[in-house]
Amino acid sequence: MEAAAEVRLGMGEEGAGGLAGKYLTFSLGNEDYGLGILKVREIIGVMEITAVPHTPNYIKGVINLRGRVIPVLDLRLKFAMPPEEYDERTCIIVVEVQGRNGAVQVGMVVDSVSEVLNISADEIEPPPSLGASRDTSNILGMAKVKGEVKILLDIEQVVGEGVLNRFDEQ
Amino acid sequence: MTNMGKAVSELLDDMALKILMVEPGDLSVVGDLLDLGEQLVTSAEAAKVPVLGRMGNAFRAALEKIIMAELPDSAENYELLGRCIAQMQEALRKGGVADEATLTAFADSLGRIGYAVGVADLAAVSPAAQPSPSVAPPPPVASAAPSPPPAQTPVPDFLQDKDLLSGFIDEAFEHLESIEINVLELEQNPGDQEIINNIFRPFHTIKGVSGFLNLKTINKLAHATENLLDDVRNGKRPMDSDVIDIVLNVGDCLKDMVQNIKEVLERGPECYQETDIATYLTRIRQLQEGTVGPVEEATLPVSEPSASVAAEAPAPFKAPVAPAKPAARAEVVATVEPVEEEETGPRGGADKGGQRKKLGSSIKVDVEKLDALVNAVGELVIMQSLVRQNPLVARLADPKLAKDFSQLSRITSDLQRTAMAMRMVPIRQTFDKMIRLVRDLSKKTGKKVDLIMEGAETEIDRNMVDSIYDPLVHMMRNSVDHGIQTPEERSKFGKPATGTVHLRAYQKGGNMVIEIEDDGEGLNTQKIKQKAMSRGLIQAGESLSDHELNNLIFMPGFSTADKITDVSGRGVGMDVVKKAVEKLRGKVEVHSQPGKGCLFVIRLPLTLAIIDGIIVRVGSERYIIPTIAIQESMRPEAKNYNTVHNRGETLLVRGELIPIIRLYEVFGVESTTYTDPREAIVVVVENEGRKRALMVDELLGKEEVVIKNLGGMQDVSGVAGGTILGDGRVGLILDLAGVIASSAE
Repeated sequence: MEAAAEVRLGMGEEGAGGLAGKYLTFSLGNEDYGLGILKVREIIGVMEITAVPHTPNYIKGVINLRGRVIPVLDLRLKFAMPPEEYDERTCIIVVEVQGRNGAVQVGMVVDSVSEVLNISADEIEPPPSLGASRDTSNILGMAKVKGEVKILLDIEQVVGEGVLNRFDEQ
Repeated sequence: MTNMGKAVSELLDDMALKILMVEPGDLSVVGDLLDLGEQLVTSAEAAKVPVLGRMGNAFRAALEKIIMAELPDSAENYELLGRCIAQMQEALRKGGVADEATLTAFADSLGRIGYAVGVADLAAVSPAAQPSPSVAPPPPVASAAPSPPPAQTPVPDFLQDKDLLSGFIDEAFEHLESIEINVLELEQNPGDQEIINNIFRPFHTIKGVSGFLNLKTINKLAHATENLLDDVRNGKRPMDSDVIDIVLNVGDCLKDMVQNIKEVLERGPECYQETDIATYLTRIRQLQEGTVGPVEEATLPVSEPSASVAAEAPAPFKAPVAPAKPAARAEVVATVEPVEEEETGPRGGADKGGQRKKLGSSIKVDVEKLDALVNAVGELVIMQSLVRQNPLVARLADPKLAKDFSQLSRITSDLQRTAMAMRMVPIRQTFDKMIRLVRDLSKKTGKKVDLIMEGAETEIDRNMVDSIYDPLVHMMRNSVDHGIQTPEERSKFGKPATGTVHLRAYQKGGNMVIEIEDDGEGLNTQKIKQKAMSRGLIQAGESLSDHELNNLIFMPGFSTADKITDVSGRGVGMDVVKKAVEKLRGKVEVHSQPGKGCLFVIRLPLTLAIIDGIIVRVGSERYIIPTIAIQESMRPEAKNYNTVHNRGETLLVRGELIPIIRLYEVFGVESTTYTDPREAIVVVVENEGRKRALMVDELLGKEEVVIKNLGGMQDVSGVAGGTILGDGRVGLILDLAGVIASSAE
């Protein structure tokens, strides 16, 4: 968490310039998202997920990633979008973020993975303010690439508030 | 709330354990305690038990005052703080609504320490007044030690090669431990040249490496001590108790310095603390020159190491490194005889030689690499069974293939066993620390105690080593302080003046057993009974065997100590031991013979990594129930099934009414096969003395599974962890305490 806060602070100082770089883009419904390529460990197809009780609905459960048990969260549900049946285009993006006891891997279910984009600083705008009802704290910025808008996610924040903090903050 | 409440109670348990470890002058443990206190305040607020938050705050403020030396850093005060913790536990047990009496007692304890706090302040809801009611001492982090001398310590010119440095730290700790052990052994065999060499060598190594790494203070101190020991080696002066004391004190001081270096490495150079070693150097010089008379020398090593100060230490209370342990009396009271089980020949040199040979044939491996190996082997086993169960392969009726497969599975299971065994370490390390503990305790209490250790080579999962240390210390203290009587009392009962404490470890079945046996006075069963009745733990009419009564001492808030000493009996009882042991999935019990002594038995699983479990199916989900908790399983007969108010369900099993828990309801599984307990299977489990019948669809089998954590998710209620089942899917391991708690909601 602290690490995430630091990262965000660092961004503030450098402005949007610090955000330029390579992003993995994926889609959820009609929206396109991007997330920093350095956080991505791998992309796998949907496999059988073991449900974990007493967790929020967007945590689908845990999977066996080559002998490691990692949690999987459904980004659609996390962002309160209507659920969708998983199909052959559905993917799990495995990201690595800082937990309290070192790095942890978390899987995120997305509709489909698009491509890796190189996004430059002048293509990125700060997150829009959409009023109090729409929290944009987990958005790093909005990128306009070739006339399309990609929402750049602060994945540490998404995973932090979605998975880790729920259990860390006692 | 339950999760939060659990966190608070765990914090309190940790604090209770820590306060037992505090010794006046040893501020590092107090620092840990302060950290815990701060966490407690935050957790209590999050868990919406404001009373505890306020109590915690007052506790913390009082502790800060002790750290800032505004209040005396004395054993009595820590006892009182111990009571405060017990009172907070009491308040939490009552559901966070502390009554007048508890609060008054709490305020009284703090008042006696010298920190006045009003009962009304604790009870009142005045969030504004939260940040410590009285003249709040500035938080230690900000206050940054307005400490006098060396303001500009030459901070970290040793930080250049971190790899080398971290290697040095590990090594130094090992050396220092071996020094301590050897010194204590030398007390038994004074003049044994071999042991003196064994003490000399690690000092020499530490001196060399620290010089190379530019750790000047450590280097200087080690060098001086080495010189002193060299004199001893060359027969210039005898190895007497003066030398032993200074070597032990220097060892402690070096340990603290190395610990500090470790912190610097982990948290950055601002943690660096310069330690003042002048006292030690002077003392060593005096010893070498022989300028001190026998009378004054006893006091010298005890004297506070003069103001060892940090430049800008963020935690000033940790600054006074190396609190010289009071070694007031020169004569040695504790004697220690490490007994090897396999050893039959005479003790002494031969024995030691054997040990050393064993140590020589091992190598050091990074723990992470080891874990990776164990993981990889686990995967291998699963992959192998996946290949084998592949329908195409299974159809091949080739004898050669079948033979090869069985050969393969033999190799993989061998491999798995070896990999697991690599995580096991002898418990010797933990046991050896008890030697020093008993030595110090017996000096302090004036009792004569022999510590006899057996089975120190018994192996234990290295992840358990740290967790078993605190409870073990608590129980050893208990045995020496309450168990063993004073020499006068002992001779009155016709016992030898020197008491004996046996510390044993051995493997039995799938368990590791640790026993602590003293030949002291035993438990006073009658007193326990009265206390239990007055606390409402048992009813007047209840007939319990003496054994059952004795084991009541493990109940929360139970302490029979007549007088509170600064060793144990700080108002926190054996329940913390029990909880710590249960966290390791173990059990603890006590056997007592009045007048003859007590025997504490701790049973632990051999490893934390593997659990023996029954796999059950509930709908499409599979769960693993730890076998240790299972009593029986059955398809219940209709006549034994009862409901209460048409809702609460119970099952009559062997004359006992056991509540039924429908697992599918607790876990929200929709695809369950049975909804009527009379058709399903029930598994009767026991947890913390409570029995429950878990309703499941099917028993799938028994297996030893490797426990894995659920990635970043911790403390999922009802789930202890996950494991990878034969088909590659994840199965969840049940945490019965959590299941029972969530079924009660």
